Amino acid sequence: MALTITCPICDKRNGYEFRYGGVDKGPRPDEEGLTPTSWCDHVHMNKCVAGIQKEWWFHRDGCGAWFTIYRDTTTNLEVDKPEAN
Amino acid sequence: MNRLSQLPTLRINPAQKISLNYKRKTYQGIGGDTIATALYANGIRIFSRSLKYHRPRGLYSLDGECSNTRMEINGIPNVCTENTLLKNGMTIKAQNVIGTAENDLMGFMDRLDWAMPAGFYYRTMHKPAPIWPIALKQVRKAAGLGKISPDFQMNGKYEEIYPKADVCVIGGGPAGMSAALTAAKQGLRVILLESRPWLGGFFDYRAAEYSNGIHLFERARELAKTVSETPNIRGFIHTAMVGAYNNNLITAFQVGGESDHFDERYIEIRADSVVVATGCIERPLLFENNERPGVMQISCAHRLARTYGLLPGEKAVFSIGHDLGLEAALDLSNLGLKISYVADIREDGQDPGLVADLAKKKIRFLRGWVAILAHGDKSVKKVTLSTIQGTHHRDVDCDLLVASAGMTPLTGPLTLAQAQLAYDNHTGCFLPKKLPVKMHAAGRLMGLNDPLSIEASGNLAGLMAAADCGATVEADLKQTRERLNDLPGPVRGCKLVQAPVKGRKSFICFDEDTTIKNVEQALEMGFDATELVKRFTAAGTGPGQWGIPGHNLPLFVAQYLEDSTVSARPTTVRSPLVPAFIATYAGRNHDMCKRTPAHDSQKSSGGIMRRSGVWKRARYFSRDSGCREEIENVRNNVGMFDASTLGKFRIWGPDALKALQRVYAGNMSKISDGKVKYAAMCNDDGCIIDDGVVVKRGENDYYFTTSTGRAGNTVEWFRYHTRYDGWDFHMINLTDAFGVINLAGPNARKVLEKVADTDVSNEAFPFIGYREFTINNEIPVRALRLGFVGELSYELHVPSSYMQSLWGLVAEAGKQFDIQNFGLEAQNVLRMEKGHVIIGSESEQRTTLHDVGLRFLWDRNKTQAKTVGAVALKQTEKQEGRLTLAGFKMENPSHTPKDGSIIVDSSIRGYVCIARFSFVLKESIGLALVDSPLAKEGTRLQIYEDECKGQHLYGTVVPTPFYDPEGKRLRM
Ligand SMILES: [Zn+2]
Repeated sequence: MALTITCPICDKRNGYEFRYGGVDKGPRPDEEGLTPTSWCDHVHMNKCVAGIQKEWWFHRDGCGAWFTIYRDTTTNLEVDKPEAN
Repeated sequence: MNRLSQLPTLRINPAQKISLNYKRKTYQGIGGDTIATALYANGIRIFSRSLKYHRPRGLYSLDGECSNTRMEINGIPNVCTENTLLKNGMTIKAQNVIGTAENDLMGFMDRLDWAMPAGFYYRTMHKPAPIWPIALKQVRKAAGLGKISPDFQMNGKYEEIYPKADVCVIGGGPAGMSAALTAAKQGLRVILLESRPWLGGFFDYRAAEYSNGIHLFERARELAKTVSETPNIRGFIHTAMVGAYNNNLITAFQVGGESDHFDERYIEIRADSVVVATGCIERPLLFENNERPGVMQISCAHRLARTYGLLPGEKAVFSIGHDLGLEAALDLSNLGLKISYVADIREDGQDPGLVADLAKKKIRFLRGWVAILAHGDKSVKKVTLSTIQGTHHRDVDCDLLVASAGMTPLTGPLTLAQAQLAYDNHTGCFLPKKLPVKMHAAGRLMGLNDPLSIEASGNLAGLMAAADCGATVEADLKQTRERLNDLPGPVRGCKLVQAPVKGRKSFICFDEDTTIKNVEQALEMGFDATELVKRFTAAGTGPGQWGIPGHNLPLFVAQYLEDSTVSARPTTVRSPLVPAFIATYAGRNHDMCKRTPAHDSQKSSGGIMRRSGVWKRARYFSRDSGCREEIENVRNNVGMFDASTLGKFRIWGPDALKALQRVYAGNMSKISDGKVKYAAMCNDDGCIIDDGVVVKRGENDYYFTTSTGRAGNTVEWFRYHTRYDGWDFHMINLTDAFGVINLAGPNARKVLEKVADTDVSNEAFPFIGYREFTINNEIPVRALRLGFVGELSYELHVPSSYMQSLWGLVAEAGKQFDIQNFGLEAQNVLRMEKGHVIIGSESEQRTTLHDVGLRFLWDRNKTQAKTVGAVALKQTEKQEGRLTLAGFKMENPSHTPKDGSIIVDSSIRGYVCIARFSFVLKESIGLALVDSPLAKEGTRLQIYEDECKGQHLYGTVVPTPFYDPEGKRLRM
């Protein structure tokens, strides 16, 4: 894996060491009022942005932390947090 | 064949004799030979037959750019003999021949080319449909490169390394070495990759002057010496770069030398900056029979003489389009090659000095002429030269035709790294236009030709790479740029693509036997983009990928489409850029597995150990794979089982309970002291992923188990599902820290009583109880009274270091009851009789908690909601059309269906998860996931077993558990 990932605890490491945890969608929604469709959307639907996305990674072969990084999906490179717009 | 033995450029050692076997004869090569040069030295000219037309093929590039010289070596097919050094005793076979390479019975295929136009597979053999399988067989038989025996064992040592560098330089020629030295001078760590077994690149074999009376080869050796003396350059020779990925990840394959401890190794390099200095190969000249043995490129002929001491032929004609051709002609003439004609495609622009020297040697020099036809069936006998307009012809006898249209930058590494290339009208080459960040190109790759310019561009690239790594080099950069500007820039390139011929036998791709005519056929059919033409004609899809057609194909397509701007691009290349052994990719094939702390005890008790997930576990304790004795001993007496592979965890802290509530379906606040709680985890789809037990050892302090397969993912799972909450809890994976013995059977208590330092009577330690006590006044035990196998049983968890001792104590105490070990298979049958599920056996990806009948493990009214899986469990509670787990017994107990057999009527209605003969029940029984209407008691199931030849098996749905349905035996 060409990607390198910066773990907040272990710093920049080879992407092999990590497991992808999906795009950041925010906390679990309240269970009241969820329909099968809205729940499935929350669990399975992704925006698949071509560009920068915030996503979760797990340092599986390392410290065991879950954390987020920003990655440009078009270059597959980790990038700095984008400026708020 | 006599070798030129006095040349200072040679890379051979004539004193070292190496023998090889080919065509039932023994031949001699010498030290430094490749397989190909050794064969050539022994007069072999035809190395193989081509893929489709079985045309004879021979040496052409000497760098493995096409499949011409791929042969079977010691049983390994498709070995590139031009890049593989000869080793003593090699057995060599020609490929794709019936008979010999010289006399191939399939040779007639060459005359059938009219029957095989471009894309003929797709167009001719699909109607009617039944033809295809028959045609496919014949096509497969007639075409193809090497064959490998299915039981072939690849010998050798294969390795992998993952070095890191500040700068990685690809290409060990003058530009690459200059770049490496420049970067190294800045104190950076440099890795230098060179595909040949020595540094030097295109200076290495040339006797022309570098400057001040120094020859190019001397300069190459001087640079190589400096590189080897520079401690912060790590040079890898005989190492072909094969892949480039973003973030400057470079992969390469290294061939081990005599003193290396590996045969090949995979190298994966992470570099902050990369310099690509791969130089050029030659652009093949397209004319009739342009791949006839005896036709070869300039550097092939030149290197045969200068590097290997082999005069490439006796009587030669040159048809070239580059000054390197003139230089080679002069040099080879000096070495004794008779050259009658040098035909230069270019009307003008040649180095006047070289032209004058040709005249002095009385070699006839034709400007604006080109070879159009090579004569001779199996090797070149004569060539027809023509003006490039095709107006005048001349036949010349020869046995060597040195043919080359011009230069092609080796841009493969750049393309892999997603650099942009653009056609350059001046050089007639595709040159790098936009490079990825922290990647630089240098040398001939940039269209440069002058030795000093090549080195200066290497210096410049080295400085730019150093700048990427934070070195302060502004002044040096400025100075080097100026120096490069003052040196000669790229020279005008020859643009002729095709000699004036029709092209029926002019091969644009040797590997796939693609002719100019095939490409025209594709274009006429409307494939108007190079990539499409490539797919339809297969040009460039062979092992040489890009080497032969890579440059000519887009140029030809552009010319045909009258696209004067040449918007075409070289077709995509893919890694590995050069063929590599799969064995090298596989590396050492480490079979890493875990052994439980009772491994040795089990093995010495006759355990047959098998790989199971990450573990090695005892599957049986006898040769009887039905495990009758093991099973009956547990049912009637007492057995012991190593359950150490269970996932074991401690979770504690103020928010530990919240975390448990989040991931477990049940209500974890209802765990009583001294009692075990059975619990399950689901994923967000409500599908069951794990089951296990939880005990509460203290305030906010829990100990729990997971199934063996989930142990590795459990901490990750807890942390993932609480990642937004910031809860305060700790988790520790104790799987390897604790060993577990499952002591099971009606006599289990009698055994435990003898060793436990506490009262373990049914009253003191009842079913689903949890106790902590010591054994032998020392070993701390966490004991869980469970009943997975359906008998009175105790799970004894002890620190791993005590496991072997405890195992011995229990075995000793059980001796008087004739305690026996039991293995995985016996456990599997025992638990099935009891109707207990194993996640992954009675469930799959889509199986919910409801489906396997474990709904009672879900607490729908749990407060502090947001339980993983709860939403889906609620939504699928009454969903129709799901599979349901059902027990069944076979009508004919003597035939038990195989696990995985399917349940059928007019369609597939489910499958058998597990089925075994039950010795205690004297029935064949099993568990199956079936469409829910079929799960009703009494339903007759029709079972289709693999290879049942239409004879279905029948079973009937019965209630579970099959064994001890009241559960009395667990509570004994
Ligand atoms: Zn980490």
